[in-house]
Amino acid sequence: MRFLFINHLQNARQSLRSNRMRSYLTMLGVTIGVASITIILSLSSGAGKIVGDQIDSLGGNITIIRPGSPQTMSTNLSQIKPQRNFSASSLTEYDLGVIKDIKHVAAAAPIMIISGTIKADNTAPSDSSVVATTPELQTISNLKVQTGQFLDSTIDKNTVVIGPQLAINIFGTDQAIGKSLTVHGKALTVIGVLKRANDPINYNSVDFDNAAIINLEVGKQLGLGQPQIQQIDVRSDSVTNLSGVIVDLNKALLISHGGENNFSVLSGDQIAQPTSQLFFALAGATTAIASISLLVGGIGIMNIMLVNVAERTREIGIRKALGANNGDIAAQFMIESIAIGIGGGVSGYILGYVIAFAISTFLTFQPAINWQIAAIAGFISIVMGTVFGLYPAFRASRKDPIESLREYS
Amino acid sequence: MTEIPTNTPVIELHNLKKRFGIGDAEHFALDGIDLTINSGEFIAIMGPSGCGKTTLLNILGLLDRSTDGEYKLDGREISTISARRQAYIRSHQIGFIFQSFNLIPRLSVIENVALPLTYKGILQTKRLKIASRILHNFHLGEREYYMPSQLSGGQTQRVAIARALVNEPSIILADEPTGNLDSRSSHVIMEELSDLHKRGNTIIMVTHNPRLTSYASRVITMLDGKINTDTKSADDETIPFTDITPTAVKKRKKVKLVRPWTKRRHKSKATLVSSNRRKK
Ligand SMILES: Nc1ncnc2c1ncn2[C@@H]1O[C@H](COP(=O)(O)OP(=O)(O)O)[C@@H](O)[C@H]1O
Ligand SMILES: [Mg+2]
Repeated sequence: MRFLFINHLQNARQSLRSNRMRSYLTMLGVTIGVASITIILSLSSGAGKIVGDQIDSLGGNITIIRPGSPQTMSTNLSQIKPQRNFSASSLTEYDLGVIKDIKHVAAAAPIMIISGTIKADNTAPSDSSVVATTPELQTISNLKVQTGQFLDSTIDKNTVVIGPQLAINIFGTDQAIGKSLTVHGKALTVIGVLKRANDPINYNSVDFDNAAIINLEVGKQLGLGQPQIQQIDVRSDSVTNLSGVIVDLNKALLISHGGENNFSVLSGDQIAQPTSQLFFALAGATTAIASISLLVGGIGIMNIMLVNVAERTREIGIRKALGANNGDIAAQFMIESIAIGIGGGVSGYILGYVIAFAISTFLTFQPAINWQIAAIAGFISIVMGTVFGLYPAFRASRKDPIESLREYS
Repeated sequence: MTEIPTNTPVIELHNLKKRFGIGDAEHFALDGIDLTINSGEFIAIMGPSGCGKTTLLNILGLLDRSTDGEYKLDGREISTISARRQAYIRSHQIGFIFQSFNLIPRLSVIENVALPLTYKGILQTKRLKIASRILHNFHLGEREYYMPSQLSGGQTQRVAIARALVNEPSIILADEPTGNLDSRSSHVIMEELSDLHKRGNTIIMVTHNPRLTSYASRVITMLDGKINTDTKSADDETIPFTDITPTAVKKRKKVKLVRPWTKRRHKSKATLVSSNRRKK
């Protein structure tokens, strides 16, 4: 029975130790690569999870309709920030009426995002948004009012409900009931201030803490041409009826859109997707950076392993003379480079989470910890060590013992 | 000298040749060696520097290949054996003592000695135990955790020998194992080899010291890549140096220059003979 594998491990440990500094520096490339991948994955799945949780907490009877065909949804990045979408939306107020007439639809509310500055004592920061909608939004999206009331069809249309952060930004206080503000030059009276939600990432793509909610009719009057409805939220009367409602919605909207499939009806996890799309877009970019640092790290491994092989040519000759076969020599160097890969992977994984948690103190969600991320980090680091260690190990194993022994070291 | 029944051939060489270089630089380090070595023999190989002794040992130890001719080990032609199997033979059957120690500098003494056991698949604790025992036999017990660079030449050579013997090889190939040792240490080593020989192992040793040939059961002298003489006796009188002794005496001075550590024994006629042959 040959316990060679354990022996190779001990060998590798010995040789990595004898060049401690060099081993650590070589690991660094892998560490940075794996750390950035860990950051991306943990934050993006953390963000995806939070939207999923919101939808679950709404009771599972929500579906939303967005413009654009279902096929283009996943690539259409403009969906993430509807405020910046100036192309005409395919959803209309007429659609809203059609939706409300469908059986088992309990409520439907449009989200129309208006580009207009909010002014009062101070001008609101540019990241504030103006949303035109109907009073039903409150129940569908579970918006809580801190003081005052939500929009109501029975009272004056020129009223507005604002988020607590917006109140502080423009009035310097969240006690804003009865005060007046202007949106795109139109004066509106504040009738309610929302409770702080700390939910900038949600399926409505609106940070309600920092938004002014106005009536749809007022929104249309602001002289911005055809009203642009970015999304319609629909609630069915029960969870069991939701799937029927989705089928009916598709049919009815297809008719009202003249047979053109330029809208998508989303439910469950599909709703979470476009929001976390931002993170996937970021993830794409950062993955590219991570890949480059992994490639550089890998070349670093190969370089150091080639140096190791050259430095230890004589040792290879001695080992062969003492009974090592080509496989033993290759294994020794392979295990060494895989150990560098794994060392870099483990430290990168830890470093990645340290940074991800540090970043998350500025965000409203925690990085996700799951086995998939650990598995990906482990897989990457082992593959790195293997792929970039193969050639040096092959070189080492093929050395001629006598020529190696003649070498001076 | 004890007579050991030596009948089965372990090593059979037929017209073995080793060429170095090509074209004008072509040079035969071994030029047609015919030799049969039986199991249990203790062979001393002598001859001037550059006559091909080391080359022969390397080929016998499966570290190098011959250019031409046959080499049968235990009846099997070496060229038909796979590289993997050859490594296995090196690991289980052959012990190598190098002319230039060849310890691994970054490993401690005990780790160096334990190294051959690694490739037999023996685990570390057991490896170190075996290595420690053999180091004690070589009076190197307190040096176990020294690094090779902290040892004297003699100690280094003893460690190298301990390492060659640690996996209990049946064939021991020694290239001037006592070359750097004083006579006391030399005899410790030779007693150890002699002991291994008595237990039935085959020993092939290159030496420049004719005194040590008294341990051998057979003395072979080489010249220019060929076997010059081959005497199956350990008796000093039967080794045929007499024909060249007179020339050797004339070159006494040179001997000191070339191998200073043989100085104290320079009156030995055999030393002078071997040195003389080197000059030819
Ligand atoms: N790798 C090599 N390349 C070229 N010539 C070599 C090589 N190894 C040995 N030689 C030559 O072969 C001859 C025999 O060398 P060697 O076996 O080392 O002699 P010895 O051990 O008897 O002193 C010498 O002339 C030496 O120069
Ligand atoms: Mg030599």
